[in-house]
Amino acid sequence: MRENNCPVNEMVLELNNVLQPGCMKNPRSRRIVEEIRDLARDIAWGSAGPDHIPMLDKLQEELAERISDPEASPLARRIRKTLDERREVFISHVKTRNCATGDCVKLAPAPCQMACPAGIDIPSYVTLIGMGRDAEAIEVIRQDNPFPWVCGLVCTRPCEFMCVRGRIDKPVSIKFLKAFAAERAMSDGRYVNPPREPDKGKKVCVIGAGPGGLSCAYYLSVKGYGVTVIESLPAAGGMLRVGIPRYRLPAEVIDRETAMLEDLGVEFRFNTRFGSDVTFEQLKQDGYAAFFVAIGAHSAYKLGIQGESEYGAIEAVDFLRRVALGEHRRPGGKVVVVGGGNVAIDSARTCLRLGCAEVTLAYRRTHKEMPADEEEVEQAEEEGIHFSFLAIPVEITGEAGRTSGLKCLRAKLEPVGDGQRMRPVPIDGSEYVIEADAVIAAIGQQVDRDCMVGLKDMNWSRRNTIHVNTVSMETSLPGVFAAGDAVTGPATVIEAIGGGKRAAQAIDRYLMGIPQPSMPPVPVRRARVENIEVPAATKMSLKRPEMPVLNIDRRRTTFQQVELGYPENAVREEARRCLRCDICRRCGECVSVCRDMMKLDALQLGYFDFDHPVKTDFRTTRDKCILCGSCANHCPNQAMQIHYTDTECILTLCGTVLNRGKLVFCEGCGKMLGTTAYLDYVRRRIESTGNPKFKQHLCDVCQRKKAADIASDIMLQR
Amino acid sequence: MNFRRGQRIEVFQRSSEDMWEDYMNEYIGCHGIIVDPDTSVNDPNALVEVSLVGKGTLRLPQDCLKILNEPGS
Repeated sequence: MRENNCPVNEMVLELNNVLQPGCMKNPRSRRIVEEIRDLARDIAWGSAGPDHIPMLDKLQEELAERISDPEASPLARRIRKTLDERREVFISHVKTRNCATGDCVKLAPAPCQMACPAGIDIPSYVTLIGMGRDAEAIEVIRQDNPFPWVCGLVCTRPCEFMCVRGRIDKPVSIKFLKAFAAERAMSDGRYVNPPREPDKGKKVCVIGAGPGGLSCAYYLSVKGYGVTVIESLPAAGGMLRVGIPRYRLPAEVIDRETAMLEDLGVEFRFNTRFGSDVTFEQLKQDGYAAFFVAIGAHSAYKLGIQGESEYGAIEAVDFLRRVALGEHRRPGGKVVVVGGGNVAIDSARTCLRLGCAEVTLAYRRTHKEMPADEEEVEQAEEEGIHFSFLAIPVEITGEAGRTSGLKCLRAKLEPVGDGQRMRPVPIDGSEYVIEADAVIAAIGQQVDRDCMVGLKDMNWSRRNTIHVNTVSMETSLPGVFAAGDAVTGPATVIEAIGGGKRAAQAIDRYLMGIPQPSMPPVPVRRARVENIEVPAATKMSLKRPEMPVLNIDRRRTTFQQVELGYPENAVREEARRCLRCDICRRCGECVSVCRDMMKLDALQLGYFDFDHPVKTDFRTTRDKCILCGSCANHCPNQAMQIHYTDTECILTLCGTVLNRGKLVFCEGCGKMLGTTAYLDYVRRRIESTGNPKFKQHLCDVCQRKKAADIASDIMLQR
Repeated sequence: MNFRRGQRIEVFQRSSEDMWEDYMNEYIGCHGIIVDPDTSVNDPNALVEVSLVGKGTLRLPQDCLKILNEPGS
């Protein structure tokens, strides 16, 4: 057995082979093997309980005792070897309902969950939201991300880029569903912390109260560690609080979610700067057994152009920080913001809200290349921000110590290297000046290393970030872990949260003396939620809703939240667009069987292919489908299912009703025969073997009986 | 910034960067989507966030990535 294969899946496959007709002939041994196979299958399908593995042990022993059966002993030895050598994998399947290799198809995470840097079980919580079970959805989310409300408002949503629904029309609006559920659960008083594990008697110090630090603090606290968070700012949140403007993320949202950490017992020491107010040595003397460094990247890059030292350029992160902490002074009447990322857009929109008459964003490439979130750019345009594209700043101009403008050169984009990439090249003699009395530089941030000088043996990367093992988040200093922007450079909130969670797991292992893993953890399925039944026509016609926004006058003048959130009915409907990729793995078995074996080609599921998706239409299935059930029988994951009611046969794919038809019953004995379409199909297939004798709907038994009656009548007549 | 959000990419080779770790060799040949390009300085050596099919989302150096043709192009 290869190490990178799943032993649970391999055991199921081997036992299935052993149970083929002609093998394992002894009935008693066969029964034991069948029971072992069923238990192993439960484990592979995530439906096992704590008694499954002990029962496997017991049955293996029973099989080993059957010395008289020559087939039993070697198999028992192989099972014993697997259970002994790969036991932890079996335990992991039972506890986490997760298969790291993906071999146990029922347990493999969906693409959206795999894409989430924090590994949130998205299909489960989206389905729960669709059912109106918001508090349960939040419980699922917080097992991987302690800040569902914050992320529901500001996440860059990598999950939506990988959302399989996007191959049909538009991705499910995962981010906003999360925000709705968090707000509703908080409002209902059902947003609660999980029970804390018993106190482990060890203390961990977290340096930095940004999303990475807070996430690490949360998971360590839940595990029973005493956690202290040191923060130089007067409140928790880090870049959430001082980097993201209030019109995108209200402070109350940060306050409410960080208060949940205080409820867990996390201690905060605000206005305490690491390295000056408190040193690493002092903290070690205070008895902290491990450290987590999440200091972020708060130091801005300079423009490095003429006039910058003379007239000055405001650093965007510093500007946003001052505004977030209450300093609501406009930087000037006319402002130019240099940059094309989210920080640049945030700075420009903040200027507008502070009363700046004219705000221009100068970016060296075009609109298409802007790294900022597309929706943010659109909203900035709506609010009246001017954009000057293909503008390369060369000088800040001024008079008598006051800024008067930003001199730029026009640029053109030229391909470099393999021709796929474009870089801006200045056009000679194309100088122009954008009038301004303040210039804000938003061209990026880096880690401020000043506070880290006390940690002399810490390794840094050539990018000026803390060098860590990206699996365990360990730094070069024993017992010191790091994550977030301090490790990745300026990155996203959800990456910091994922890094913080991973570091908490690694710190727990470090303090418990357990070796660190060699591969990044695979996201864990947190629930097995039933499907929501949706007709095919509804599934296709439901559209991703537009986000209602604040009126434009308020947006230009106040810091009120711009995105107002979906109404409840839109949320419930949007959740129903989810394709449940945690159940359907898009293996294509159903399509192949229908097209190649049954020659029907009724399943138009073009979204199955990542690289070459073609048209999908759930509605067309009913035109060709005969409800034979072959697709459901060949589905390895029970995503495709066929149900029978008293009168009807219904085919569903993860809850989407693809077809339904009236059942026909035997006119002789009342046995269910299938649908008319199915019976016609069968009749057509057997036509070549001779004309069917009866026009009535009869089962095989009744047909034989009737044929025999007719034959005996003929005999009697003769 | 050499990559744009939403572009389809392939991890086509090992990176020469020191941040490339052995376990990342498994990602060579994987396809994915650029989720968060270099939003800071215009640094061709910056790490970009990519979501790889079946593997997860992580930051990789740009020299191991190549852009795939968009579907239909």
